[in-house]
Amino acid sequence: MQLEARPSAFPDADLEHLMARYQQADPAAVAALVERLSPQLYRFFAGQLGSKADAEDMLQDTWLRIHRVRHTYRAGDPVLPWVYTIARRVRVDNYRKRYRISSREMGVDVLPECPVHNGETNMLRSFEELVAALPESQREVVIMLQVDGLSLEETARVTSSTTGAVKQKAHRAFERLRSLLEGVPKGPERTLAAQSASKGVTQ
Amino acid sequence: MTCREMDTVIESRSGDSTLPPEASRHVAECEGCRLLVIAFNKGNNGLDPSPDRLKRIQTAMVESLRPVRPLASSRVYLLAFTLISLAVVVLGSFLLGMSGWDALSKVQRTIVFTALTASAILLAVSVVRQMAPGGKHSLSPRLLPIGILALLILVIAAVFRVRHESAFVPDGLACLRTGLTYSIPAAFLFSLLLSGGAIVYPKLIGAAAGGFAGLIGLSVLEVQCPNLNEYHILVWHWGVILPCSIGGLSLGAAVEYIRRRGSHRNSRI
Repeated sequence: MQLEARPSAFPDADLEHLMARYQQADPAAVAALVERLSPQLYRFFAGQLGSKADAEDMLQDTWLRIHRVRHTYRAGDPVLPWVYTIARRVRVDNYRKRYRISSREMGVDVLPECPVHNGETNMLRSFEELVAALPESQREVVIMLQVDGLSLEETARVTSSTTGAVKQKAHRAFERLRSLLEGVPKGPERTLAAQSASKGVTQ
Repeated sequence: MTCREMDTVIESRSGDSTLPPEASRHVAECEGCRLLVIAFNKGNNGLDPSPDRLKRIQTAMVESLRPVRPLASSRVYLLAFTLISLAVVVLGSFLLGMSGWDALSKVQRTIVFTALTASAILLAVSVVRQMAPGGKHSLSPRLLPIGILALLILVIAAVFRVRHESAFVPDGLACLRTGLTYSIPAAFLFSLLLSGGAIVYPKLIGAAAGGFAGLIGLSVLEVQCPNLNEYHILVWHWGVILPCSIGGLSLGAAVEYIRRRGSHRNSRI
């Protein structure tokens, strides 16, 4: 059985070097950081929102906020927890903003268009649907650990929490996901799971 | 291997993507774990943002790129916090006298000032670590201030006894005023220190820094006030921390509001 390689295996030392150059106003460092970290950050937002446009907006907000507070990065500190803490804050602010707007909105005649899932997003959608069943705090931990590839300690730093607390949340989330997955009746999802398992398990 | 142990394998990030043999055996036997691993593998596929958007982000960042001076190290901030705290307490002792210190027994003195010092150190470390995003916390920064407040109540209740006091309110108000007189300048100095950082949770850091300033006021009162009535200390000495924390929280909320307004204005590229 194999776990697929995580996309986030950045050598953190390089990121630290890039951050130091970014603080010294090196444009090449900006380009390199945006290029290297954006896919990860994008997945972080897309995994919780499901909308590509919203995820891109939040990605943009995150980079602009990073740009404004770049002086708060201390040389030698790990870069990913610093970046993700800011991204998480952007997500929370965005959620509050949406809540405020939606609480003031009146019903309209034209219904919003349903999001179209193209082939690219089909694979992620089932994962999204699965984690959507989790409480918010567990969902973000699962996404940081499993989609963004952060370590337990990095996730603890991002959530201003302890490693033990993150471990506990992850364990509860896994328990819940197991029971959800085992409760899935026979159907396309189950068939897909069985096919993937037969390919992946090496006995 | 149990499912709980399998959780640890799933959580741990490793360059080697192959499951250990024991985990593979467990996955082959356990339906729940097998489906969980498959689900997580599906979630690891690549979705990328549009190159156009990335280009616009890069351009906007490069346009306003200037060199910045990074935050000083945590040690520098801790030293500054310590110096401010000591300066305020020493100044208070010098101006108001040390009647409270003299009135305390050796045991009371040891317990009270050990608890105050330990609380101040823990809060200062927590506040300094919150200054830069993604700091490491061995104790939850949300629960720590509450824990400290509760600990101090227990210490005061355990160390002091109820005594008759004829002018509970007037004496108490005088102590509260004295405590706040020293806490507020300390809080002002702390806010100057924190203004360079504290960008993620200004309310939380404001409340913690306010609580820290309140602890300084409480320390000044413990050195100065000879009243050992348990209720007096609980209500009027310990009570200094509350308005300071609430003040810090309010200031943090105001900062957060202003920053949010500013960030919405600047978020267009």
